[in-house]
Amino acid sequence: MNLKKWIRLSIITLSASLLLSGCGKKEDPNTIVFWNPLTGDDGAYMDNMVKAYNKTEPEFPVKSVVTSDMYTKIYTVLNSKKDVPDLTLIHADRVPGFVKADMLEPMTKVLKDKKEIKESNYLPQAWSAGEVENVQYTVPLDIHSSAMYYNKDLLKKYGVEHFLDDDVVTFDEMMSLKGKLDEGDYLVNNALLSWVILAEVINLNGDIQKDGQPAVNTPEMKQALESIKKIVEAGLMTPNGEDGYLMFQSGNVLFSTDGTWTSTAHDEVDGLNYGVTNIYAYSPDKFTNRASSHMFSMLKNEARTDEKEKGIAEFLEYVRENSIEWAKAGQIVASKEVVESPEFKDYKQSYFTSNEKELDSLHIFTYEYYPYIQEALDTYGLDIIYGDTSIEEGLATMQKFVEDKIAEGDNGG
Amino acid sequence: MKKNGAISKWLAYIFLSVLCVIWIVPIIFGLMTSFRSQSEVVSSGFRLLPVDWIVDNYIAILENTSTAPILQWLVNSLFIAVSHTILVVMVVSLTAYGYSRLRFKYRDQLFFLLLGISMFPGVVNLIPSYKIIETFGWVNSPLAMIIPGLAGMGNIFLVRQFMKGIPKEFDESARVDGAGEFTIYSRIILPMIKPVLIVTGLFSFTGSWNDFLWPVIVYSDVEKMPITAGLLLLQDIYGNYRMIGQLMGSAFLAIIPTMLLFLFAQKYFVQSMNLNAGVKG
Amino acid sequence: MKKKANLKPILYIGPHLLLFIVFICLPTVYGIYASFTKWNLIGEPQWVGLDNYKTLLFDRSSTFHFQFTNGLKNTLLYVVLMVPLLIVIPLLISVALENKKIRFKSVFQGILYIPGLVSISAAALIWSLMFHSKLGIANNLFGLNISWASQQPFAWFLVIIVSLWGGIGGNMIIYRAAIAGISPDLYESAEIDGASSFRKFLNITLPSIKFPLIYTLVMTTAGCFNVFAQPLMMTKGGPKQSTHVLMMYIRTLAFGHGESIAGMASAMAVLLGLIILVISGFQYYVMNKNTD
Repeated sequence: MNLKKWIRLSIITLSASLLLSGCGKKEDPNTIVFWNPLTGDDGAYMDNMVKAYNKTEPEFPVKSVVTSDMYTKIYTVLNSKKDVPDLTLIHADRVPGFVKADMLEPMTKVLKDKKEIKESNYLPQAWSAGEVENVQYTVPLDIHSSAMYYNKDLLKKYGVEHFLDDDVVTFDEMMSLKGKLDEGDYLVNNALLSWVILAEVINLNGDIQKDGQPAVNTPEMKQALESIKKIVEAGLMTPNGEDGYLMFQSGNVLFSTDGTWTSTAHDEVDGLNYGVTNIYAYSPDKFTNRASSHMFSMLKNEARTDEKEKGIAEFLEYVRENSIEWAKAGQIVASKEVVESPEFKDYKQSYFTSNEKELDSLHIFTYEYYPYIQEALDTYGLDIIYGDTSIEEGLATMQKFVEDKIAEGDNGG
Repeated sequence: MKKNGAISKWLAYIFLSVLCVIWIVPIIFGLMTSFRSQSEVVSSGFRLLPVDWIVDNYIAILENTSTAPILQWLVNSLFIAVSHTILVVMVVSLTAYGYSRLRFKYRDQLFFLLLGISMFPGVVNLIPSYKIIETFGWVNSPLAMIIPGLAGMGNIFLVRQFMKGIPKEFDESARVDGAGEFTIYSRIILPMIKPVLIVTGLFSFTGSWNDFLWPVIVYSDVEKMPITAGLLLLQDIYGNYRMIGQLMGSAFLAIIPTMLLFLFAQKYFVQSMNLNAGVKG
Repeated sequence: MKKKANLKPILYIGPHLLLFIVFICLPTVYGIYASFTKWNLIGEPQWVGLDNYKTLLFDRSSTFHFQFTNGLKNTLLYVVLMVPLLIVIPLLISVALENKKIRFKSVFQGILYIPGLVSISAAALIWSLMFHSKLGIANNLFGLNISWASQQPFAWFLVIIVSLWGGIGGNMIIYRAAIAGISPDLYESAEIDGASSFRKFLNITLPSIKFPLIYTLVMTTAGCFNVFAQPLMMTKGGPKQSTHVLMMYIRTLAFGHGESIAGMASAMAVLLGLIILVISGFQYYVMNKNTD
């Protein structure tokens, strides 16, 4: 072990790393730093949009930063109030909490600057999900909703193509296949189950809150769980713990309840002859697809100048006009101009914008404590429908779960 | 006695072979999955080898240089790993020497106090840690990956344990010969624990694959990330995977540098520690 | 002369001590402070005294009490299952590899070490596919029909196998390095006395690698207490939260959806830290008793 060599080596590496870090932090003050949680291919589509925008040589170019654990990162920078990004893409269900914790800058100036960034130019629920007490805090990029994929070949095999006639597969129709499926085939999987449960609650005219208090233990929730549990008991749902999403891709499942965005992965599977429809419901009169939205927002940051906000407005206006690229990610673009364009019709998810009824079916929850409710359903939902926990006990536990979290989380920020 | 040796030899062979088969099947399966199309991944039945070999997954991975420059990540990692490893070995051996060979008041108490403090799981420590890094201006800098890791106690604990196994006579005879403390450290103790230091180096080079949060917090610049942070952009840690073949491909590309290092290093860490090495000072 | 003697240790342990105080001690102290507060990670923490601890330890009706006890129970089960395996298997491998007549040592060693390099998300996916009821090797090859992740004890089996697969390599090379350091003279004289392989292992190998054994035992235990990625990815904590370990609850509380509940998460982390401290201290004391 030659010590001198070691010391020399470490001095070299240390000085090299100091050099590297020295040139690391030089950010053009005119750059709009834009954080988003779009990992994988989604990030690439966003990157394409940003690149195209920067090609127009704007005064404030955008730098897209993809982060796999963005919310954790948001907490760290907001806490130290340094390196706060100029623009951030957040999910709709974060908005009420962020506003309450005083983390978001309203979009007021942006809206004043670009007159076309207004409610009537966006899908209404995406726009209003960003509004808290008559203040607009976000501008939506998209709606991403649950969707139900169907395997055309399997529908034909079992002679049930008529399920789709009225665009809604009902519980009764599904139950009619009880005992009629070959071994190894399943009617429906349990992917994104909590979203399905929430959609059924809305179908039953229920809600997840009452006067601002969380309402999980409700008759509607109970009925929703009972109905889904019946599908399980009839042996129609993929077994607990199985990757039902992959089973759909391998052609063993008639219906897959996942998200609009998975069509991109389904397309990769040769010979998977599939289509998209609504999440199953009680009757064709009322169907719901639980949705969320990616929304542009500005975290509180004193260093952000008014000029820069104008630059952000410029970018958002560009996105409003040119976000057809984002449709490639399988998302329903929020800008009406894009959604109504002929190019958008080429994408599978345009099914959900094809008529008023479909548009109305996209439901975004805006209740402040929605995230806790979804977490409760994610934790207990499978146990309940597969009969490991009784419905009554499960409902009471989930209600308490949400209430405890609210009580503990509430420190006025 | 000969018979005895033969039995133990065969027992050893059987044990190792069975274990290795169990261990290698998933590696092959995972690697082969990276040469499969999504259609084949989801087709029923188990096959170890792809029916249709495709390299599309790798093309897709390597082509995506804007949001996932995997080769750049590997280079960044290499730089971080090499400098971190060198510093770790220096700091660790020096510190471990202090805690095992030098005599000072409350030495062991201090050591165990530090060890104890380091045992607390650092979940919410993320926020203060980030503030510290920011004070130093190390956000987006490799220094944030290199320096804080030097404070860890694990490797020091390991090397200290090995050093304690070296009889005191070595130091004493050297001291009689008039050797200073640093000479004893560098000329006598270091050579003897070389295999452990190589193990330590290997560990710090391998890095922590399970540390999801820190690299993500430190970096916001895709170009500057190490592979650990980068992979998270390709692989959703919450299991929300879509393109299985690509995920596998990126995982296996990522292990190449460390694997090569391991193959190189394994010759050295099983070298005898040679406690009979000359006490030549 | 006396002054010099006092300064010398500083030269050796000083640099690390400084790093330790800045990068570990300060954040840990802050984490402990946070455990006495209500904190959403954004605003200022609000001092609540022992409230979080009271809730976790004594409020039987609280969700957090359930999460803490259930998480701790599952974590302890994981530790009890994993630690012996993570010590014994690598030890057996190293002893087997030390057998002079064994060939292809580096091949065996490489195969057993490489899984530890695979990122945990890829490892989890590999094993999930291997145990997928339709696509996997387990059911197809052995004609089983089990949904592994949703039934006990299979769910635990999945968590254990993926942890073992990636986890044995580290201890294995520590033992390899330690056993290589044993003087061959010891074995030779034992052989002259006609000692069996088992005797040699018991009387020579084990005592000679006592220090590395203590190290691996203590660190492996601490590591197992911190487990979270393997159960998160293999079973998502199910069925019925029976593989939901404490670190998963802690992380969700602090960084999950919805407003962060970081004070409670810190209190859980501190309690977990205390438990790790007591257990590893006990292990160290027992193992080390005979020498110093």
